Amino acid sequence: MNWNSWLPLLVILSSLLPGLIIFGLAEERIRLRTVLNLAGALVKLALVGWMLWGVYHGHDYEMRLALLPGIELVLRAGPLSLLFVTLSAVLWLVTTVYAIGYLEGSPNRSRFFGFFSLCVTATVGVALSGNLITFLLFYELLTLATYPLIVHRGTETARRAGRTYLAYTVFGGALLLLGTVWLYTLSGTLEFTPQGGFLDGLGDEHRPALMIIFALLIVGFGVKAALVPFHGWLPQAMVAPAPVSALLHAVAVVKAGAFGIVRVVYDVFGVEFAVGLGVLGPLAWLAAITIIYGSLRALFQDDLKRRLAFSTISQVSYIALGVAIAGPIATIGGVVHLVHQGLMKITLFFCAGNLAETLGIHKISEMNGVGRRMPWTMVAFTIGAFGMIGAPPVAGFVTKWYLGLGALEADQAWVILVLAGSSLLNAAYFLPILHRAWFRAPSDAWPEERDFGRKETAWALLLPPVLTAALALAAGLLVMLPFSPLEWAKLIAAQEFYLP
Amino acid sequence: MNVEISVILLCFVVAWPLLLAIPALHSRLPRPRHLAIIPAALLAVLPGEASLELPWLFFGAGCAIDGESRWILAMSVAIWFVAAAIIKPSKHDFADQRTTTYFLLTLAGNLGAVLASDLVGFFCFTTLMGYGLYGLLIQSGDEAARRAGRCYLIVLIVADLLLFEALLLAAFVTEDLRFAVVREAMAEASSAQFYLWMAFIGFALKAGVWPAHLWLTAVFSSVSRSTALLLGGVPVAMGLFGAVRWLPIGEHAFGVAAMIIQGIGIAAVLYAMFRFFTQVSVKSLPAWTAVALTGLFIVALGGGLAHPEMWHQYESLAYPVIALVAIFLATLTFIIGRMQGAHQAPAVASQRVETVRRVAEWIEGCQRCAKDRLSGLQSLWHTSWLKATRQYQRIMDGQKPIGLRDEWRVRIILFVLLGLTIAWLAK
Repeated sequence: MNWNSWLPLLVILSSLLPGLIIFGLAEERIRLRTVLNLAGALVKLALVGWMLWGVYHGHDYEMRLALLPGIELVLRAGPLSLLFVTLSAVLWLVTTVYAIGYLEGSPNRSRFFGFFSLCVTATVGVALSGNLITFLLFYELLTLATYPLIVHRGTETARRAGRTYLAYTVFGGALLLLGTVWLYTLSGTLEFTPQGGFLDGLGDEHRPALMIIFALLIVGFGVKAALVPFHGWLPQAMVAPAPVSALLHAVAVVKAGAFGIVRVVYDVFGVEFAVGLGVLGPLAWLAAITIIYGSLRALFQDDLKRRLAFSTISQVSYIALGVAIAGPIATIGGVVHLVHQGLMKITLFFCAGNLAETLGIHKISEMNGVGRRMPWTMVAFTIGAFGMIGAPPVAGFVTKWYLGLGALEADQAWVILVLAGSSLLNAAYFLPILHRAWFRAPSDAWPEERDFGRKETAWALLLPPVLTAALALAAGLLVMLPFSPLEWAKLIAAQEFYLP
Repeated sequence: MNVEISVILLCFVVAWPLLLAIPALHSRLPRPRHLAIIPAALLAVLPGEASLELPWLFFGAGCAIDGESRWILAMSVAIWFVAAAIIKPSKHDFADQRTTTYFLLTLAGNLGAVLASDLVGFFCFTTLMGYGLYGLLIQSGDEAARRAGRCYLIVLIVADLLLFEALLLAAFVTEDLRFAVVREAMAEASSAQFYLWMAFIGFALKAGVWPAHLWLTAVFSSVSRSTALLLGGVPVAMGLFGAVRWLPIGEHAFGVAAMIIQGIGIAAVLYAMFRFFTQVSVKSLPAWTAVALTGLFIVALGGGLAHPEMWHQYESLAYPVIALVAIFLATLTFIIGRMQGAHQAPAVASQRVETVRRVAEWIEGCQRCAKDRLSGLQSLWHTSWLKATRQYQRIMDGQKPIGLRDEWRVRIILFVLLGLTIAWLAK
């Protein structure tokens, strides 16, 4: 085993070890906990940067550990996995800074940061998994690591949300396990195989079974990706603290589900095989319904985080839609949205957290004139919201551009109507928020205002949304640069579709 | 040397107002609204053509100044400069900073769209311009302005969606999205008709072409003088400019589509003229003038779509005409604003513009003259004409509100005329 093969494991350990140490720390060891958190995040970022450079230049990073006879734990860094790992590493660092500021003075911080690190470990594990069984292990670890974060506040609502989350995800996990075992009995392997999947050799006699397996896997992943009608847990889970919501919606849970769908279509079934099986059409429709349904539900929410939660349900399905359209350009649109949605949505959740922490604002109807009181936060929110609408030059525009072109390429023009409808609905539920914030006269008193002197809020709360908003803008503006998410998505699409 | 200076100025025309839009910066500078226009003004007067390619930015952004865009740039500079001069500072620092920010964002979007050399750049900048303008429209914060702003926002979103669809169609047909290449490629594409209609409706909505003019009339009568001044030069002119740049005019004869577009243009002119002369709110007069002028322009565009060779002959006139339309509207808005300011009267029926009063007096004089000279020849036609004239005169005087019946009568006449025109054109 050489140094390169250890790298994927080191990336996982960079958050796992600090997490385990933090569990054992006393509450008052604030400085050590902060150092461990930030050091872990920075080390992870450096390792991921190294791997990015290597993969871009054609190097392999793979590690295999025997689990059971014939079943291995495989960690592998390819273009697709690194796209997700990079997103997780960057946003983990930012979210850690935000969480440090957000939870200042609150109880049980060691427990919180311990599970927080575990959650990121599981997410990175999901991204680096080289076969379906490894994926499944980390995927379930993610469920278990996230539950304590959702119920962190310990209120009855939080506990109820946690129970709902567990019920949904355990059900999804069970279906996933069933599908995986069935698949293994048919194919004898679970190794992710880019460029065509590993089911190509299976004959027509397995067609019905494979269709059912596909459905099981998609529903299994669809629960975490919040595909309708398996989305019920997500709006309830927004009772969690803002950093958890941000992580849940932008990086960890829903993204793991969406990433699972991408893996199933590209590296398990293979695009051509899935098209032949006729399973991508229903997936595209399911994604389209989710996009419109999520947006429609978001329209009628007064609770800001709840509106953002329904927006996530809608937006994450763009990834599934891009994959289901089954063409190189749509693939670019779907895959790049993994990153774009993450940047934009985390910005929005950070801002929602800032409003709640600084002014006690939870509802949209309380946001009148808040732009005057918290201009930087609301500028970041505005960029995130415009990105979600798909206005240029924010990252969301790039996604819609490639999804639209991909739909035309695949001769599925109806997708453009879905995108247009979604943009219209996004505008209908984001623009009134911006109008309230910037153009309405502010209230005489905010619900629970905290004093931060001349600053609008604490630095640790303000810098993360400003940074992620800038990244969302940069991902759109600097879209042609070599290491931009779009260029990386093009690399993935070229690999999947044998493009030069 | 001029070219090098022009290229440097091209970098600053958009970037400078965008930078100044940051409140922390513009609040520390004297006259930031004027300062922001300086690079554009210099570029407009500097002779020679120049272009700037930034392949790393957005989808390979580029901007250029040529003989066509110079007209629009010069017009924009003039209008923005006057608007910057007459804008009233607010009593509150925050409101003043906010107005300046939206002013500068709209300016940056406007200038960027003028200089954009491809469809994506144009779309991006007009979007920025549109949302910035929304901020300016509702700055007064009263209910009428909010309602008008809402109306504009809805139109903006729908127009942007349609233009986005057109953009996708163009990008699917050709990878090179420069205007000339797209016009040529789309003329021959199988989706040409769809592209044509998406782009036409999109820009018609943005420019307030009849029957999508409702936002324009609402906005003109509810916004401040400085913002009203911008309406002719920003949304209306950029809508027409966009239509000329995007539509595949002069490449291929679009028979039926061209005829329908011309019919819309004629109906717009007739309807706007009627509404102009029956208007009781003087603030709406520039809006109806805009509807009439855009209607005329649409007729010309339709002509170009029907007869490509004719378009090639007169194409160079399109840009000065757009600039003149914008300047004329801005001047009219300015004069009316000044008159209103001088009279200090509320915008109701009693405050008619002096020119309208004179027109009414002139009609009355003509009637008296006709009565005296032609007393022996009072035919039925003559009597009914006089009756109708008196009726409209009373409406103009504000003595009689315009009735639903009158409006419908005119609508029916307009549609009959539209039908006759189409039939004539088809023949």
